[in-house]
Amino acid sequence: MADARTSVNVPAATAAPETPAELERRNAAARRAWARAGLVYVLLLVFSIFFMGPFLFATLSSLKDDPIEWPPRIDPPQLKPANWVAAWRLGKAGGGSGWFGSFGPGAEVPFEVTYFVPDGVEPQAPIVRVPRRLPGAGIGAVRPGAFAADYAIVSDVVETGRKPAEQDGVTGQLVTYSFTIRHNGEDVVADRLPLDLEVPFRQTFHSATLAPNRIERLGRVQSWNNVTPGVIPYVFYNYTRVFQENYSRTTGKNLFLTWIGNSFFLAVVKVLTHLVIASMTGYALARLRFPGRNALFMLILFSMMIPGQVTFISNYLVLRDGIFGLSRLWGQETLLNSFTGVILSGLCGGSAVFIMKQFFESLPRELEESARIDGAGPATIYSRIVLPLARPALGAVAILTFQGVWNEFFWPLIVLTTPQDKFTLTVGLLNLRQAYGAVALDWGPLLAGAFISALPVIIVFLVFQRYFVEGISFTGIKG
Amino acid sequence: MQEALAAYLFLLPFVLSLLIFFGYAFVRAIYFSFTDYNMFDDPNWVGLANYIAIFRETRFLVALRNSIGFSLIVTACQTAFALVLAVVLNNKIKGIAFFRTAYYMPSVASSVVVTLIFLWAFQRTGLINYVIEWFLQYWPFLAAFLALAAVLQLLQVLWDRSRGRPVRWFEPGAVLTSLMLSAAGVTLLWATGTLSPLEVEPVRIVWLNTRRSIPEGGGWLSLSMPLVSIMMLNTWTTAPTFMLLYLAGLQDIPRELYEAAAVDGANRWQQFRFVTVPQLKHITFLVVALGLIGSLQMFDQVAIIGSAAPLEAVITLAYYVYSNAFPGGALPRVGIASAAAVILSILTLIAVLIQRRVVEGNG
Repeated sequence: MADARTSVNVPAATAAPETPAELERRNAAARRAWARAGLVYVLLLVFSIFFMGPFLFATLSSLKDDPIEWPPRIDPPQLKPANWVAAWRLGKAGGGSGWFGSFGPGAEVPFEVTYFVPDGVEPQAPIVRVPRRLPGAGIGAVRPGAFAADYAIVSDVVETGRKPAEQDGVTGQLVTYSFTIRHNGEDVVADRLPLDLEVPFRQTFHSATLAPNRIERLGRVQSWNNVTPGVIPYVFYNYTRVFQENYSRTTGKNLFLTWIGNSFFLAVVKVLTHLVIASMTGYALARLRFPGRNALFMLILFSMMIPGQVTFISNYLVLRDGIFGLSRLWGQETLLNSFTGVILSGLCGGSAVFIMKQFFESLPRELEESARIDGAGPATIYSRIVLPLARPALGAVAILTFQGVWNEFFWPLIVLTTPQDKFTLTVGLLNLRQAYGAVALDWGPLLAGAFISALPVIIVFLVFQRYFVEGISFTGIKG
Repeated sequence: MQEALAAYLFLLPFVLSLLIFFGYAFVRAIYFSFTDYNMFDDPNWVGLANYIAIFRETRFLVALRNSIGFSLIVTACQTAFALVLAVVLNNKIKGIAFFRTAYYMPSVASSVVVTLIFLWAFQRTGLINYVIEWFLQYWPFLAAFLALAAVLQLLQVLWDRSRGRPVRWFEPGAVLTSLMLSAAGVTLLWATGTLSPLEVEPVRIVWLNTRRSIPEGGGWLSLSMPLVSIMMLNTWTTAPTFMLLYLAGLQDIPRELYEAAAVDGANRWQQFRFVTVPQLKHITFLVVALGLIGSLQMFDQVAIIGSAAPLEAVITLAYYVYSNAFPGGALPRVGIASAAAVILSILTLIAVLIQRRVVEGNG
């Protein structure tokens, strides 16, 4: 258990020349230590799969056309380099770039598709259609834009090759067809070129220039979201949907980007207010003597125990009335649906004060004593001596506050309700969940949105994890 | 005197916001709970009517039952789990920082993100059902692996003992060899076709949109299936945070205590039971207190799951309060919401006090 190191240390005690028996015993102990380390690694790995597995698999699935396909694959077409190359070429052929494709004047998109046709069935060329498909579902479906269908000219479908083949024990042949889709030259660029191919029943899809996104109607219809995607929209299709399909009806602003910006803004401002206020309060609690100190400390502890659901109604009303009418001083009638309200109602949390107080109490008093003898007042001691030493604690407060604000859900949900471009990212995600999940859940954009919103806080965690650990142990020391 | 004045200046911003957004709010919540306030008309004093009303409302009783059950089970599971993780992580071996990071991942992401991922994993054709199906198909492999490993271990230990070496039943070196040989053996059995995956019915367990409960027909004692799913989720996300607390505590335990226990002949389990656990007592108090406080407030998961599960199955006190204060369309029932909120905070305080008593009583 906790003492793997003890057993490693046992043999080190021998000082006198060793007898063969002692040597044998020491070797045995060393072997045992190694073996135990091996077992611990196995256990550690099993736990990591348990904790990381769902995240990694959700991330992988966020790339898929159908994130709840059965059985779940770990190699979706979006991860195959052959498809990346095809997406790049097709993106260029469509008149866009290799990274971000489009379908514009001058486009000439060659496409090839191969079917398996069992013996005795006469191969037929597929019917090629460029559908007027609305990108996405739900809120995305009303998005205006040019339809590639209005500008695409499909060439004749030509058979370009046959070769004998066997599939699932059935002999037959692989028949390849090719065709070209051209743009009619009008000065309109469509951002995507959807494609449907339809073949008779027993003719099954084998391969194509780009892997299809869906195969429908018992294999008769192969369907592509976009055959001129470019690499990024092909691999990160669900991610592009999250950004493209969520825009404000009133202002036309990109909602998802706005939400990210809002969350960042609130997080940064609140980190600053927490740093200033928590360090001041923590210092006063740790070092200064004043009547009511214990009472205040108990009140802080008590406030940390009481659930937010108890205080939120009053706080909602206080913000609605602009903090007793104070907000009229700067011209705001109400602080609901305003970032000022969110910031003022959460200037500093009790746990941040706790971390700072804990840290200041661990500093040696002598530093301050000598400054006091030199005639420095509390403000000078705080700003010149104590604060510069408090970097680890300040780091912990900053990181934990950033995480807390970025992930906060309940309070923003209550205060920020309209318009949609006031939402924070977490409230926005609830909005996405309702938009994409009203009937059947459209998991692609949901998982993509979840991944994007988890990314900043994961990066912050990876970079500053030392502070995370310190901060959490600081709160733990008090007991 | 001057020092006190300086202190008050230092404290001013925090105390001001604490008084407005906590003190005033808390007092007002208690006041509202005795009124019929609806956010628009002036409140009228109604005495205990709200408290009597909620205890006659089934939805409140369900929420109360759900919250208490959820809180007790989740706190117990995550505390035990956190302790186990911390003990495993408290090894001074290479790469331990990587594992600590990996374990902490579920605690970093927001509850909204984690709940979305959870919703996805608990779909009918989701990851969880797939893992279960995989396990049902391959359990003979696992069983063969464990049985083979046990036999190999037995043989090795007997062999060593017959040669006069004093080895224990779970000698780490032998265990490692047994596991590796057993893995090779099972692979061989698979390659030769002796073992093959079982044919099983596709697993399509409905985790969320169901009125099933566990145990079936247990009345007020049984928990709904969706709530049990959320319990698993919550244990998974909060255990790592508490693991860090335990880890900090473990590193503060003096090594001499273990050495003394070893000298007295305590085996590993006894060392854990009589040194580690008592030494971590104050951390355990903190972990349980934070766990109870956090799990009694469970709200985000219910809100995100929304229509994916029947509300009666997952509603908690926190959600009950919210849905009465902001009923969307209807007039807010602030009095009812506040009464439920007051009960929620009383519950929290009682839980913390009781467990403080228990922890102190044990020492």
